[in-house]
Amino acid sequence: MNRLFAVLGCLAMVPAANAHRLDEYLQATRISIDITRVDLEIDLTPGVALASKVFGWIDTNRDGEISNAEGEAYAREMLGSVVLKVDDWPAAVKLVEASFPQFSDMSEGVGTIRLRATTSVPAAGPGRHQVSFLNMHRSEASVYLVNALVPANRRIQLGVGRRDTAQHGLTLEYTIGTDASSDPAFALLVALAMAGCLLLRHGHALRA
Amino acid sequence: MRMRKREWLFAALPVLILLALALPVAVGFQQRAGAVTAKVVDSANAFLATLSATERTKCTFGFTSPQRTGWSNFPTGIFQRNGMRFGDMTPEQRKAALSLVAAALSREGYQKVTDIMNGDEVLKNTGGGRTGGRPGGGPGGRPGGGPGGGLRFGLDEYYIALLGTPSTTAPWMIQFGGHHLAINVTVVGANSVMTPSLPAAQPAKYTLNGQTIRPLGHENDKGFALINALNAAQLKRAVLSYKVTDLVLGPGNDGKVIQPEGILASELDAGQQALLLDVAHEWVGILNDEAAAAKMAEIKANLPQTYFAWSGATKNGGLAYYRIQGPTLVIEYAPQQGDIDHIHTIYRDPTNDYGAKFVRP
Repeated sequence: MNRLFAVLGCLAMVPAANAHRLDEYLQATRISIDITRVDLEIDLTPGVALASKVFGWIDTNRDGEISNAEGEAYAREMLGSVVLKVDDWPAAVKLVEASFPQFSDMSEGVGTIRLRATTSVPAAGPGRHQVSFLNMHRSEASVYLVNALVPANRRIQLGVGRRDTAQHGLTLEYTIGTDASSDPAFALLVALAMAGCLLLRHGHALRA
Repeated sequence: MRMRKREWLFAALPVLILLALALPVAVGFQQRAGAVTAKVVDSANAFLATLSATERTKCTFGFTSPQRTGWSNFPTGIFQRNGMRFGDMTPEQRKAALSLVAAALSREGYQKVTDIMNGDEVLKNTGGGRTGGRPGGGPGGRPGGGPGGGLRFGLDEYYIALLGTPSTTAPWMIQFGGHHLAINVTVVGANSVMTPSLPAAQPAKYTLNGQTIRPLGHENDKGFALINALNAAQLKRAVLSYKVTDLVLGPGNDGKVIQPEGILASELDAGQQALLLDVAHEWVGILNDEAAAAKMAEIKANLPQTYFAWSGATKNGGLAYYRIQGPTLVIEYAPQQGDIDHIHTIYRDPTNDYGAKFVRP
């Protein structure tokens, strides 16, 4: 239990401290790639100093509440600042879901706007592909994170990603394998067949 | 044919001897881990015994209740924790609650937890609790904030909750946390798991009773020691060309796995790998020694598939983010808003968060 409750008193001064995001608008995106779609999870967290400003962008009738229509309009505006390309073809990003925090949370720097969006892409065939994402929404006061999630579809293998210094964008190579080669059952069958061949060869060698 | 059988027996003999030697070690390890669980269960029951019926109801939840994932690093006033609040406990209850936390953790881990909590008391006493101001006023003519902000910091604002019934066989969980601290320990028989957990610190350095305390000082220094042990070619692989300004897999991102980045541990030499393991141990070793040893063995076995990524300054004292990511491990270290005196970290195992591997559905 040592130092735990001994902290009162004898405290040296520490720099003025703030618990939460202050003057940045954090825009964190996670990209999920599948054969026929690319999904986006975008979390937007305004800092304390920006809360009123960001709230004002959304609450356009200034009634202190974010209505469904206002929320949707802002979400569409935000997604309008996003450019998503699959194999160099621009993909239309559709809003799936949007949720907005209370102003009180935003004003403490911990309220996060959560947008979920998706885009359909023509079923890509086996081989190498590329997805590129660029987010320039409110870049004057924003910081960005963008990451690719490991695909749930085992046929898809992510390759090298390239980003700009500020993480506005991510360009990512990925490979789609053929159906059979990525199927664990198929792989097991191939392994068993190879083991069988080896055993047969070994048997022949012993008899010889 | 008989000769072949004998040859086979001779060939198998070393394996059998090894097995015979390893078995008692494994059994001994399990027994020690089982003894730790028994001690943690006893401590949990001792804590529960200090509570009234009403307090018990407040403090206990079903093992699979939403409370399990309802943790945060935010202070009271923004995030409402459930469970028993330290400020509402009697001295006897506080002592029993802390004894339980101490029983589940290692000596060093418990010290780290207390240093983080004391840091929050420092934050409270130096005005941190009043700096969540809202310049510019609120929307629709509502109060705009300013000093006050409703945030509450300090030792009284830590909470403890138990999920499930303390048991040496059935799964249960200890949830302990407050501002800048979320410790989730799932206990399943002899196994203890501490993922996901979030140790953080603000201030990252303070003085208490004449002693300088850095709750996450080792995490900082060992990270810098590792990055500075890499040669130029390795640095090129490890250092990301972009800024990482926050945790990528912070609270609310359970079960997500991002594409790994940085240098593979298999490209490090033995000394560098040892440094990497030492960094990881700062998080893994918060849990009791037996459970931490098992987790470290797993991380060591997965080293060839483990990545180390760095973003920012490489001179200790500078602003830097780093991430260790392997098949069963994610660790992130992220200074907040360009401030090295405000650090957030996360410790996850995407395959075993909340003891998923050990809990039968």
